[in-house]
Amino acid sequence: MEAIFKRELQSYFKSPVAYCVVAFFGVLTGLYFWNINLYNQSIEFTMTLGSLTTFLIFFIPVITMKLFSEDKKNGTEVLLRTAPVPTWKVVAGKYLASVVVFAVMCLETVICPIIMMFHVNDGGVFPLAMTVGGYVAFFMLGLAYLAVGTFASSVTDSQPVAAVLGVIILIAITFIETIGQTIKGTLGRILIWLSLSSRYGDFTAGAFNVSSLLYYLTFTALVLFLTTVNIERKRWN
Amino acid sequence: MIEIRNLVKTYGKVTALDDVSFDVGKGEILGFLGPNGAGKSTAMNIITGYLAPTSGSVIVDGIDVADKPLEVRKMIGYLPEQPPLYGDMTVNEYLNFICDLKSVSQKKRKNMLDDITYIVKIGDVRKRLVRNLSKGYRQRVGFAQALVGDPPILILDEPTVGLDPKQVIEFRRIINGLGRNHTIILSTHILQEVSAVCSDVVIINNGKVAGAGSISDFTSSQNGEKRFVVTFDAKREEAEALLKAVPQVKSFSFSRIEHNAVVFRVIADSKAEANKAVFFAAAEKKIPILEMKAIEKSLEEEFVSIISKDATGGEV
Repeated sequence: MEAIFKRELQSYFKSPVAYCVVAFFGVLTGLYFWNINLYNQSIEFTMTLGSLTTFLIFFIPVITMKLFSEDKKNGTEVLLRTAPVPTWKVVAGKYLASVVVFAVMCLETVICPIIMMFHVNDGGVFPLAMTVGGYVAFFMLGLAYLAVGTFASSVTDSQPVAAVLGVIILIAITFIETIGQTIKGTLGRILIWLSLSSRYGDFTAGAFNVSSLLYYLTFTALVLFLTTVNIERKRWN
Repeated sequence: MIEIRNLVKTYGKVTALDDVSFDVGKGEILGFLGPNGAGKSTAMNIITGYLAPTSGSVIVDGIDVADKPLEVRKMIGYLPEQPPLYGDMTVNEYLNFICDLKSVSQKKRKNMLDDITYIVKIGDVRKRLVRNLSKGYRQRVGFAQALVGDPPILILDEPTVGLDPKQVIEFRRIINGLGRNHTIILSTHILQEVSAVCSDVVIINNGKVAGAGSISDFTSSQNGEKRFVVTFDAKREEAEALLKAVPQVKSFSFSRIEHNAVVFRVIADSKAEANKAVFFAAAEKKIPILEMKAIEKSLEEEFVSIISKDATGGEV
């Protein structure tokens, strides 16, 4: 697992894709930070993070698109599938490498709340605990999205297709919430409960919901499991 | 060492392998021969665990691949048709990654990589990016990858395709060297390759085993006949009279005159030692024999005759 993690991480930082994603995400964060926290003078950075979650839908599949599709295209898939390493470890190693890239994305945004901490006007108090909670949730949501992107990459040998597929699945998952609100009734409530994004609302509002975090983790584990099954399945084709 | 039992592999309606069974003994270099699309790569992919068979089993050193795939994968070094390389790594980085994958300890690693890079002659490109290497070097790096961890079994899928003649000879030399303490399966559609390096052959055609045995089984005489060419330093009539007088000679034909010597093709019963008889008869008559050489039926002739028996088409 470490071998694959290490290789994948090195490969991220040898290609321009990761740099572009990290840089562009930084620019977007800056814009939202300026608009919400500076121009409109909100002290809640969680609002900014909440807005950024929409963009994760587009950024994350770009990070994960290469994980499996590149191997398929290059013929290195054979290497991974005939190495004395179980498939779940291959999936975990690759996934964790993408998590590191996402962590770098999160880390670069921390500069914003730090600026806020030192520039609170009129004797206000910076809501540190709420901001940290918001970050935890943001990271967890990202973990779930990364898992979806990883799955999309295991489906095809084309990186662009993997990225588009990832975006489509994530948008579909987001729409579950809208559908749930329209349907109403029990089914509607179930759909809202299942939605990743509806659960994020609490965190934007500043509430820390542990059950939602557990849901994100469970969702991640399930999707990674499906990815493993999908790769194993190909032996039988 | 490797027992392959009743392998069947279907892709939808297409049957790639149809009840394939054969054994590979320890230390054998098995040539896996067949026309393109015969099912060679599929069989190799199943042995290495890349694909699962539709039915049938592969047992490596007593372990069933289906039961303990990871155990079996540890014993096998695999060079697929397209070498599985990462272009964005240097040769050193790549081979170290393979060492990580195969859990080769740091202690053993340096010596092992030095040995391997020496054997496959890539010592001078170790610091170069894989993507910048030529086809021949890539193939060698792929081969090096299969050797990492010193697996007792090597499976090489068309290892010499795309190499120049000098590299091909070099590759065969390496394989011959490795054959001393490895069990090797080597697939190819080049017949000379099999004659050059293999001890045994399995011929596969349309997903079925069309023939199997040791190289000598295939190349030695057929129909109980033995053929050889004799060159006499004599007149044609003298030589003809001599051959007629030898009872073991079934038939002969004049071939050509070479530097005042005559060359005859002789066909004899394989059990009768006609070559010796001809030698003594010539000695008695004081006719010098300049050359005497057995003609072996080539593997090529044999191969073509075997695969054309199943006249179901397919590119040869």
